Amino acid sequence: MTDLTGAPGAALPAVDRRGLLARLRSDRFFLVGVVIVFLSLFLAAFGPLISPYDPLRSTGEISTPPPPIETWPRLLYETVSGQREAPPHWFGTDQSGLDVFSRVISAPRADMTIALGGALISLVIGTFLGLLAGFYRNWATEFMMRISDVLQSFPVFITAMILVALSGRQTGNLVLALALVYTPIFVRLTRAEVMAQSSRGYVQAALAVGNSRWTIAIKHVLPNSLVPSLVQMSVTVGFAIILTAGLSFVGAGVRPPTPEWGSMISIGAQQLILGEWWPSVFPGVAISLTVLGYAFVGHTIEAEFRET
Amino acid sequence: MSARAPHVAAAGAEEILSVRGLTVAFAGSEGAEHVAVKDFSLTIGAGEFVGVMGEPGCGKSTAAIAMMGLVRPPGRIVSGEVHYLGRDLLAMSDAELDAIRGKDIGLIVQSPRTSLHPMLTVGRQIENVYRAHNRVSRRAAHARAIEMLQLVGINDPERRVKSYPHELSTGMTQRVLIAMAMSSGPKLLIADEPTSGLDVTIQAQFLDQMWEAANRTGSAVLVVTQDLGIVANYCDRVVIMEHGEIVEASAVRDFFAAPAHDYSRRILSLQRESAASVAGAPETERAAAEPLILVEGLSKDFDIRGSKDKVHAADDVSFLIHRGEAIGLVGESGSGKTTVGRCIVRLEEPTRGTVRYRDEMVSDLTQREFTPFRNDMQIVFQDPTDSMNPRWSVEQVLTEPLDLHTTLSAAEKRKRVTTLMRMVGIDPAVREVKPRQLGAGRQQRIAIARALATEPAFIVLDEPTSALSPETRAEIIELLIRLSRELDIAYLFISHDLTTIERVCDRVVVMYLGQVVETGTRAEVFRAPLHPYSRVLLASHLFPDIADRRVDRPERVTLKGEIPSPVSLPEGCYLYGRCPNQVERCRAMPQALEEVSAGRSVRCWRAVAGELPG
Amino acid sequence: MIGRFVLRRLGIAVLQLLGVALAVFFLIRLLPADPVARLVGLNASEEAYAQAERTLGLDRPVVDQLLSFLGLSSDRGADGLADGSLGLSWVTGDPVFLEIGRFLPVTLELVTLALLISFLIAIPLGMASATRPGGIADRIAFVWGLFAGAQPDYWWGLLFVFLFFFILGIAPPPLGRIDPLLIEPSVITGFLTVDSLLQGRLDTFVSALHHLMLPILTQVFVVSGAITKMVRQNMIRALQSDYILYARCCGLSRRAVGRYALRAALTPAVTLVGIFYGVLLSAAVTVELVFSLGGIGEYAIRSILSFDYPAIQGVVLIVALVSLLIYLLLDIIHAYLDPRVKY
Repeated sequence: MTDLTGAPGAALPAVDRRGLLARLRSDRFFLVGVVIVFLSLFLAAFGPLISPYDPLRSTGEISTPPPPIETWPRLLYETVSGQREAPPHWFGTDQSGLDVFSRVISAPRADMTIALGGALISLVIGTFLGLLAGFYRNWATEFMMRISDVLQSFPVFITAMILVALSGRQTGNLVLALALVYTPIFVRLTRAEVMAQSSRGYVQAALAVGNSRWTIAIKHVLPNSLVPSLVQMSVTVGFAIILTAGLSFVGAGVRPPTPEWGSMISIGAQQLILGEWWPSVFPGVAISLTVLGYAFVGHTIEAEFRET
Repeated sequence: MSARAPHVAAAGAEEILSVRGLTVAFAGSEGAEHVAVKDFSLTIGAGEFVGVMGEPGCGKSTAAIAMMGLVRPPGRIVSGEVHYLGRDLLAMSDAELDAIRGKDIGLIVQSPRTSLHPMLTVGRQIENVYRAHNRVSRRAAHARAIEMLQLVGINDPERRVKSYPHELSTGMTQRVLIAMAMSSGPKLLIADEPTSGLDVTIQAQFLDQMWEAANRTGSAVLVVTQDLGIVANYCDRVVIMEHGEIVEASAVRDFFAAPAHDYSRRILSLQRESAASVAGAPETERAAAEPLILVEGLSKDFDIRGSKDKVHAADDVSFLIHRGEAIGLVGESGSGKTTVGRCIVRLEEPTRGTVRYRDEMVSDLTQREFTPFRNDMQIVFQDPTDSMNPRWSVEQVLTEPLDLHTTLSAAEKRKRVTTLMRMVGIDPAVREVKPRQLGAGRQQRIAIARALATEPAFIVLDEPTSALSPETRAEIIELLIRLSRELDIAYLFISHDLTTIERVCDRVVVMYLGQVVETGTRAEVFRAPLHPYSRVLLASHLFPDIADRRVDRPERVTLKGEIPSPVSLPEGCYLYGRCPNQVERCRAMPQALEEVSAGRSVRCWRAVAGELPG
Repeated sequence: MIGRFVLRRLGIAVLQLLGVALAVFFLIRLLPADPVARLVGLNASEEAYAQAERTLGLDRPVVDQLLSFLGLSSDRGADGLADGSLGLSWVTGDPVFLEIGRFLPVTLELVTLALLISFLIAIPLGMASATRPGGIADRIAFVWGLFAGAQPDYWWGLLFVFLFFFILGIAPPPLGRIDPLLIEPSVITGFLTVDSLLQGRLDTFVSALHHLMLPILTQVFVVSGAITKMVRQNMIRALQSDYILYARCCGLSRRAVGRYALRAALTPAVTLVGIFYGVLLSAAVTVELVFSLGGIGEYAIRSILSFDYPAIQGVVLIVALVSLLIYLLLDIIHAYLDPRVKY
């Protein structure tokens, strides 16, 4: 009846692990998100290898529209059964004769590397600096926060453009530019959470048990301060994809003809007004869906972790 | 008053409210409904003071609000009737209901701060409610708000009406709520744990006020509580709820004399045990034991950001703790008792003064040098959930002190954890579970086990039972008493709850506004308190003793006004201005703690001189 | 009290702007770009190169360059920040300040209108979804918030052009702010809609709105989902609060309770308006490009791609200034509305 009797099993609450899996499995948004995230990573790794045409070489067929949707099953059957000499142009070709489908599935290599790389670097550096600033509050960390403030009052898109355009438009520079513009967000988030967690009772208890301040920071506070950053991470990856593509869209990103969604949209833009929609619509759909996938996953992470 | 015939519901008196078969359910996950209140029936007559009692989550609060036709989303009232003066509230239109709520039935809730709109002045909020029920001008409503604030004992009401809720103390916002609920002269006042979070002296003032209002105007009071003390001291009748259902309804005297239901018997027997143990407890056997901790002249000031002023949280505190002895540190919020406890185990650095542990002056050590002493000096906090890393399992929580202070092997640590869990009455099978998946009582047991892990000689217990329900509280107290006997551990038991202190402690230290005002053995302090503050504290404390009801006493002592700010302290005696025994000389004369007999001291010159009435 | 708060915040803003100025100055000089080569061409002779370098002042020590950028240098005329000047553009030779003055209103007009319309949509939608959880408005708001939280605005802009201009023919071609056959009204505020109204030019007013239709649609599309989500969350939090339940227990009417909830839900949203303004300002760069509006974003692209240092510095400073001023304004409003904010 009371705890003192300690009847085994009876009062034992179920460990929630299975519950979480079951919850995730029934969360349709999350499942769609996970599929998209995995697809984006898969294409980043293998996209250029499995593309039916060379994404950099013209096929000679210029501005071919995609085949009508009702013919796709037949085309697919013919392709798989090897009845066709050349695979169909699923998404048509652009005005240089490049196969749009091949380029759309090859582009994640550039887009995802840059977006994920930039977001990851800013997550790691920002979290570390935020932990320092939240746990050790002195003039040095205060100064760091002021620098972070200044960086944050820079307009993101323009700053990224300056960094990339003036340092040469290589992939590495793009990654660093993204890392720089997104780091202050993580510093601020982590610092706020670390400060909130530091006033919690378990930190006091850890001190009373005999931990040093530094072990408390690493062992107790840090793991409990990561959730906001992880949620922010999934949002940031989405923003980073949009930014990467946006930079190439304005001519300050990955150099063409490297397959990249933003520059494909930009190249197709002139023809769009004339009715040639496919060269820019398909890469746009790809961006839109990818960003959505990361948002779905982030939404679920947030809902799952915020409550505990 | 005591001549009423309470168990004949509302007999002779006009029936105000009659609830029949009230059932409330909350929508759960996947369409399942959880019934929170089931078939609740109750009648309240004019001038009655009725208590509804039960464990947290038994549905008593939900029932109280549902009587006004409201339920928190996503709940709904499934069935039932609530007749107010013969009309069924649940069958009324919204507009008709609005006319009754707040006018004829007033409500006071347990969280006054969050129940007031944070962006409107309290005056404006009282006016809005008053004007919703009375066709008066804004100016007249304003005057009424000031009048009501004055009536509930708020100093300087003209200024306070312009305050926002966050600028007032909890006690003050609670009074604002009463002022609002009483502004239109309700016939029935529903009070949902109105005094949780209030200090005992304020709680007593407050319940006195409600009781007097009910007697004066013939209105009725329904108080929802989990405090036996309130039921015993104020109520005519009591209704006991368990799992959403009424399990017992009787007159208060019958209830205490012969409780009908299991749950009632259980909580009452826990009370009895404690009363019995006080009577025959061994008190002086430990007096000869060796000194363990000596606190001398301990003071702690906190800086205020952006100001040169300081908060004087503790001021020249001295006391001695012997081996295996339980010292009770009592006082109301703001008395500095928690600060003293935290200074001893070095969670705060004392501003002045020393702490000696055995032969070591531990207050002189650096944090690093003090670390080895942490296996001897431990602390248990008030909120067990908050005091454990939310991502850790019970096993991780209990292993941490072993990792830090011992060289045991992994297998030995596992064994020790098992022993510790058994020691505090927790099934070792839950070692993989995260503490917050267990109830508050079991969480506190685990927190106690963590403190015990390194076999300390001394534990600070910082309000360890305040966040618990009466039943789990009693169990934790039993556990603490058992452990102290078995393991010979000394406690510094910090609490505002005198019943608990009386149960656990050998000696008592009373604090007020950062100062120790009285020390003595439990019997001395509880039976013959010397300091006026201790006297009021004891008189205000609601012991669940039906033979000595506060409302039956000829004179109900209280403190006037509110506790002064610890930033600008009074010049002479800190209690001056509030003390029932003050004379002019107290105003400017600082008081010293003087020993009146061995181990017994008091900080009041009149008490030392024997000038206070018996 | 509020005066001191504003002064202190203004002081902080000035310091922050100074920080931005220094940061952008050193940032562009640290990056491995060669603005001289970009200006004179890669095949230029060494003399021409040196000549250009001298004209731009890039031959001088960095400290000198910094001092004249800040307007603290004595030798080279007064043309620095301290005098309110942002220098001369290396490409056009015009004062950067004047150029920005021409481009900035276009952007502000777009962003402000887009934000206003977003709120006009988001507040009722968010409230409707909060008051009827699980209802149709709630579902729309939920999906909308998830979907449009982050989307490539430039692509949606193009899609809208394709749909509304090419297929439906109800939008003008994405080439500028008004019909090229109309004469632009003379500049008073720089906002075409305002200027044409001030001068009684209804035709240009209508044409300006017509041309703003799709850019605004694009921006509203991208930002309104997030705003709806925010309004919905705040409103739900307010409706579930103890003080709303208590207000109902006190018999306040539905309308009075609704006012309580609205007050509590919208006050914290005030500070978030600044964040959305910043998001739109950033997004304006690409949206302007799609519709050839000629705003500050297009000016930024042009300056950055041509390594026009004074113009880059100017753009960054001005955009930071606009954001800071908006934040300041909103913080003041917030402090006024919420008594709990300390100032």
